[in-house]
Amino acid sequence: MFSIEANQLTKQFGTFTAVDHISFQVNEGEIFGFLGANGAGKTTAIKMMSGLLLPTSGTAMIAGFDIRTQSKLIKRNIGYMSQKFSLYGDLTVFENMQLFGTIYKIPRKELKDRIMNSLRELDMEKQADTLVDSIPLGWKQKLAFATAILHRPKIVFLDEPTSGVDPIVRREFWKLIYLAASKGVTILVTTHYMDEAEYCNRISIMSEGQIKLIGTPDELKKKMEVNTINDVFVKFVKR
Amino acid sequence: MKELRMILKKEFIHIFRDTITLALVLAMPIALVLLFGFTISTDIRNAKISVLDQSKDTQSKTLVNQLSASGYFQVVSYPHNELEIDDDFKNKGIKLAIIIPPNFEENLSKEGNATLQVINDVSDLNVASILNNYVRAVVQRYTADYNDNSSRGSAFDITVKMLYNPESNSVYMFVPGIITLIMVLVTALLSSITLAREKETGTMRMLLITPVKKIYIIVGKVIPYMIISFISTIAILVISVTVFKMPINGSLLMLLFLCIIFMLTAASFGMLISSISRTQVDAMMITMMGLFLPTVLLSGFLFPLNSMPMVFQVLANIFPAKWFILAIKDVMIKGSGFFDIWLYLLILFVMAVVFIIFSLSRLDKRN
Repeated sequence: MFSIEANQLTKQFGTFTAVDHISFQVNEGEIFGFLGANGAGKTTAIKMMSGLLLPTSGTAMIAGFDIRTQSKLIKRNIGYMSQKFSLYGDLTVFENMQLFGTIYKIPRKELKDRIMNSLRELDMEKQADTLVDSIPLGWKQKLAFATAILHRPKIVFLDEPTSGVDPIVRREFWKLIYLAASKGVTILVTTHYMDEAEYCNRISIMSEGQIKLIGTPDELKKKMEVNTINDVFVKFVKR
Repeated sequence: MKELRMILKKEFIHIFRDTITLALVLAMPIALVLLFGFTISTDIRNAKISVLDQSKDTQSKTLVNQLSASGYFQVVSYPHNELEIDDDFKNKGIKLAIIIPPNFEENLSKEGNATLQVINDVSDLNVASILNNYVRAVVQRYTADYNDNSSRGSAFDITVKMLYNPESNSVYMFVPGIITLIMVLVTALLSSITLAREKETGTMRMLLITPVKKIYIIVGKVIPYMIISFISTIAILVISVTVFKMPINGSLLMLLFLCIIFMLTAASFGMLISSISRTQVDAMMITMMGLFLPTVLLSGFLFPLNSMPMVFQVLANIFPAKWFILAIKDVMIKGSGFFDIWLYLLILFVMAVVFIIFSLSRLDKRN
């Protein structure tokens, strides 16, 4: 069974087709990159897969659940982190994690242990009672990721998780992604950074709502006869 | 339920950590009542007037005496002709002049009526019409006295009795109005703004992507502000009763129940606003145009409804404020009970239900 299985997934807004019959599968524990220019339809696709939007036609199975009829079950089994940093700035690190953990119905005591554990992993134990507004952006991003996987989802959607943070933090962030994937969490990540695309197990390149290319980074490089994913993207756009 | 408690806790943290807003929200109602109470008074005392008495007989003097004894007027000048009256308006700052024509007493006793000319400074329309009413009241009292004393009896015996607000006290008018404004501002405006803020910062999407029930998100937003506006309402009532001697003739319990129902209506209107607005600015503009202005203009709080064009009188019916002000005035001033105002309560409640259903359906849209 695939972790994500999209089948002719389509979304139209009036006459505009944001996502145009996309089909792809993602395996459990895989890191799947979603590439494409702005407006290519990545965010709309993620919204449909996470149960925020109903597709116009087509369907997708997320963790074995149908996005049309089982959005409640899907929501329990996914985590999400968006391009905009989206924890509460006027709540402390601990309060933020406690809020989302409680919403996901993690029992109180268990929740406290999990929060302390993940703060230890992030080396942020000392910041537990610091307001999120007063910690650096890179830390906030890592914290948002830790919060998104606190309830141990089967799939995590990361919508441009590293935009605006420096290369060092981006590398640390990817370490966290690998760590989660090694525990069997499926990662679907959109990014603008082509070097990050190289870190993915497989990538797809979207344009005008359609998936134009899909495969491992090496396969795509070979196919387009270039040396980097950046060149793949440039060549693809020129075509 | 645990989730709802958690969301409530989070909202209270937002409120209490934003001390400036909190202070503003708690201080505003008190400031408003005191401001309205001490400055915007429609009662006028000792207005300066001139009297041109062309009769100078007993009756005309009695009338002038009664005018100055009423407390409303202070006669500052006795001009000799109409030209001097004009002067008084320009130089002595009089608000009104009264001309008593010659043969006042004679006309009164022989023909049973006499004329009196009143000249107004209508550059301030409100003051002019209030003063006119005062003159009319004094003259009526005078006429009544005259009829009692004269042997002839009277064909025009007019009696005026002021019901419910015998002193024509303007506090009675604005306290219900301020309570309405505060509830609208705090419950509808603040809760819709903070919900819109979550849409702007993206935390709303974080919440919507979790399995939490949407009704919890909304209820969690609204309840804290309802509590705050309830506290404000009580503060307003305490000040009105202690400082301005506003009576609460109906039952206090009925009054509080009415306030809670209206708060529900205001809160559900706030939900409606936040469900159709994307940004805080949207939320603010829609509340101002859709709720605040109608509350001030079309509720009968500042401007009497039945002197408005028919269109506006009909329009006023769709805004909750009108019904609430009718009901709260009945309870506070007339001492009405549940069976007198049940219709208003029902209207407010139905409005709340309609708003809630509509906004939930908006938030639930996945298309």
